[in-house]
Amino acid sequence: MILTRRALLGTAAASAVLAHLAPAALAQGSKVMVLASAVDIPNFDPHVATGYAPAMLFRNVYDPLVRVSGNPPEIQPALASSWTLSDDGLIYTFTLDPDAVFHDGSPVTADDVVWSIERILKLQRGNAWMIEGIVEPGATRALDEHTVEFTLTTPYAPFLQVMIWMFIVNKDAVEPNLADDDGQAWLMTNIAGSGPFTMGRYQTGNLYQLTRAENDWHAGGGNLDGAIWKITRETSTQRLMVARGEAHMAMDLSAEDMKALEGTEGVDLIYETEYRTFSIKMNTQDGPLQDVNLRRAISYAYDYDAMLAAAGPAELMTGPLPTGILGFDPELEVPRRDMEKAREYLAKSEFAEGGFTLTARYAAGYENMRRWALILLESLKELNITLDIQPTAWPDIVSSVATPETAPDFHFIFQTANYADPDNIAYAAYHSSRNGTWQNPTYGNPEVDTLIEQARGEIDAEARAEIYGEFQRAVVADAPDLFGVLEKRKLALRDNVQNFVFTPVAANAVELLPLSLD
Amino acid sequence: MLWYVIRRLLLIIPTLLGLTVIVFAIARLLPGDPVGLAAGPNATPEVIASVAAEFGLDKPIPVQYWNYLTGLLQGDWGVSLFSRRPVIDDLAEFVPATLELVIAALLIAVIVGIPLGLLAAIRRDGIFDYLTRTVSLGAIAMPRFFLGLLLQLAFAMALNWLPLSGRFPLIEFPPDRITGFYTVDAILIGDWHALGLALQHLALPALALSLSPLATILRMMRASTIEVLQQDYILTERALGIPPWIILFKYTLRNAVSATLTVIGLYVSWLLGGTVLVETIFDWPGIGLYSTQAILGQDFMPVIGVTLVIAMIYLVTSVIVDILQAVLNPKVRLQ
Repeated sequence: MILTRRALLGTAAASAVLAHLAPAALAQGSKVMVLASAVDIPNFDPHVATGYAPAMLFRNVYDPLVRVSGNPPEIQPALASSWTLSDDGLIYTFTLDPDAVFHDGSPVTADDVVWSIERILKLQRGNAWMIEGIVEPGATRALDEHTVEFTLTTPYAPFLQVMIWMFIVNKDAVEPNLADDDGQAWLMTNIAGSGPFTMGRYQTGNLYQLTRAENDWHAGGGNLDGAIWKITRETSTQRLMVARGEAHMAMDLSAEDMKALEGTEGVDLIYETEYRTFSIKMNTQDGPLQDVNLRRAISYAYDYDAMLAAAGPAELMTGPLPTGILGFDPELEVPRRDMEKAREYLAKSEFAEGGFTLTARYAAGYENMRRWALILLESLKELNITLDIQPTAWPDIVSSVATPETAPDFHFIFQTANYADPDNIAYAAYHSSRNGTWQNPTYGNPEVDTLIEQARGEIDAEARAEIYGEFQRAVVADAPDLFGVLEKRKLALRDNVQNFVFTPVAANAVELLPLSLD
Repeated sequence: MLWYVIRRLLLIIPTLLGLTVIVFAIARLLPGDPVGLAAGPNATPEVIASVAAEFGLDKPIPVQYWNYLTGLLQGDWGVSLFSRRPVIDDLAEFVPATLELVIAALLIAVIVGIPLGLLAAIRRDGIFDYLTRTVSLGAIAMPRFFLGLLLQLAFAMALNWLPLSGRFPLIEFPPDRITGFYTVDAILIGDWHALGLALQHLALPALALSLSPLATILRMMRASTIEVLQQDYILTERALGIPPWIILFKYTLRNAVSATLTVIGLYVSWLLGGTVLVETIFDWPGIGLYSTQAILGQDFMPVIGVTLVIAMIYLVTSVIVDILQAVLNPKVRLQ
């Protein structure tokens, strides 16, 4: 009996104490925006780390020469207040903003730009691939303190689009800390930038607090004192945080989370199309799918409507390029489900009777991919083809597509455009030099290669758009992919956040400068 | 006794050594291409080769193992392929968080489980006994993440008594780091406000994690108490007219607890390795989340590091449990 009383008393006392301590809400008055994201920022080196969370950090604590904003995305001045391009398309000359200063107060000079670009090219990490072969070491020169010149090896139309990811670091701050790794160890945990914010306290795997830089030189902008990037792995927790007002923005919500948030007071829901494609790539170099007629038959047999219905908020792709990007042709004729045509092409192929098995591999854990694989299985049944669906760990998929023989017949991939230019998707996913990578394991066509290279070198936007039109028709004729869907980006935002403009490239790498909190 | 402890502690070394061989071999011989993954989607073969060289992964596996082992002895636990952060720094950050959660959960389980188990035993086949039996079966069967979600909905969303997630309020600064345990650090520096906040955040995840061990301890405690209560010496004591509470606390409890102690010891490692779901739901920055991400990315240095830490804690715990057994039960002799 004594024991019972004690136990009960103890429990009661404990719960009374807990009930007494009310949870602390976000402090009123301070303009600190909280962003809930599943993605960590383990490394602060802008020339090494990639992914959307590091990209968010870099866009706010560092400055590139030019930045991108708006929808459709437009190039705008950042460190460079103006720039010119020579008539042959080879020499870019940037004039730096004379007001620009680093966080330590020292001015941003052409030397810093040259030093940063050389460091990117030397390290060959992070986003270096975007300018590889375009800007060679030594091709960036400081003409005077505020003028810097890039001499490209070949005309490259997307140059400004990729420059948004080339961040300028403070040479004088990094040089004393170079050690034997070009300052990688130091920049991993230190910021040497000129962006409107700088890193406050942080705890890896938990939260990163950005604070307004003391020497913020950027004109205009919103009223934010800072922001907290809160690592929140579970999307339902992100949803509850936005609903309670503990977070101002949730980055990784599922369609179900968005539905649950509908009608929640104080929460705006954003559905926007971004340049992130999903397609099912076929093995054009090994197995039955080498036969273009079989690929066409499957392209006509696939149930695209079912795919769209299973996708949640999304739209169907029209050909290889994402909707709305430069050169995208909305009139392009692409296969839609038509069993008559499918049977026609099947009859023309070497496999008119069907009766064989193909393999499909997708990254295990992606629910939508599983659904799309099942739809493929149903569609193929009608051509008397069976499908072996193999959910596989992503690292194993990457290694298996290295050769056509080990690659599956169907390879499911999402592909995010890193810069707002068709070259990004076209080159990575359809140029034969990328064979063996997860973005383009097997497809190659010399004619398509030439078109991609031509479009890269063409400076005139209209002429480029025309080349991409031809490119799209040529790819559709080869039927290397089942062109899938563009899933909409799903964001939840508290309604006291002002001036948020969605940008379809780097949608989650939010730029804080223009934002305000009421 | 002292010799026993020293010998047991020394035996940990070969065990860990063997473990490094096994874990290293598994991590390195698995199919997949961690270097290619770490180098990024657009890396050229030259870049991949240079990344491999940077991490010493171009050398034969026995050489890699030897380098790892010699590094380990000097406090270098390797570097994450993805973040390029030293594993030891990450562990120093995440291990205290998980340990704090696990210890809190075990404390709840022990403090509530042992008295309830005792009570269920002395009121055997009564209403209370049936009640605890039903509830504990449910508690063992219920998935922890589901329980976590229910607790969140009830105590954070509906009642608004406790915070939804995290280890500390976002906009406040946790107590200065001494041990890495927020509650302990807050007590050490005498910051009672911080202690309150840390406890609030600890409450729900610890509760979610504690229920299954609580139920097990309760059932174990009940069973061993019933067994002890049927012993002849208890009958004799009753016949001698010794007051029931002395019989219970002096003669029954000590004997009954020693069996339960083994289970508690086992639960330490079980909980350490199984916090990931609770950590995910409650955004608890611990080793569960850390190791899961490392496993998915084939980032093997963190995986090996976490495995070694869990093994070390497990081995030390079992030594402590053995010593406690001897203290509780004079029949057990350590030699």
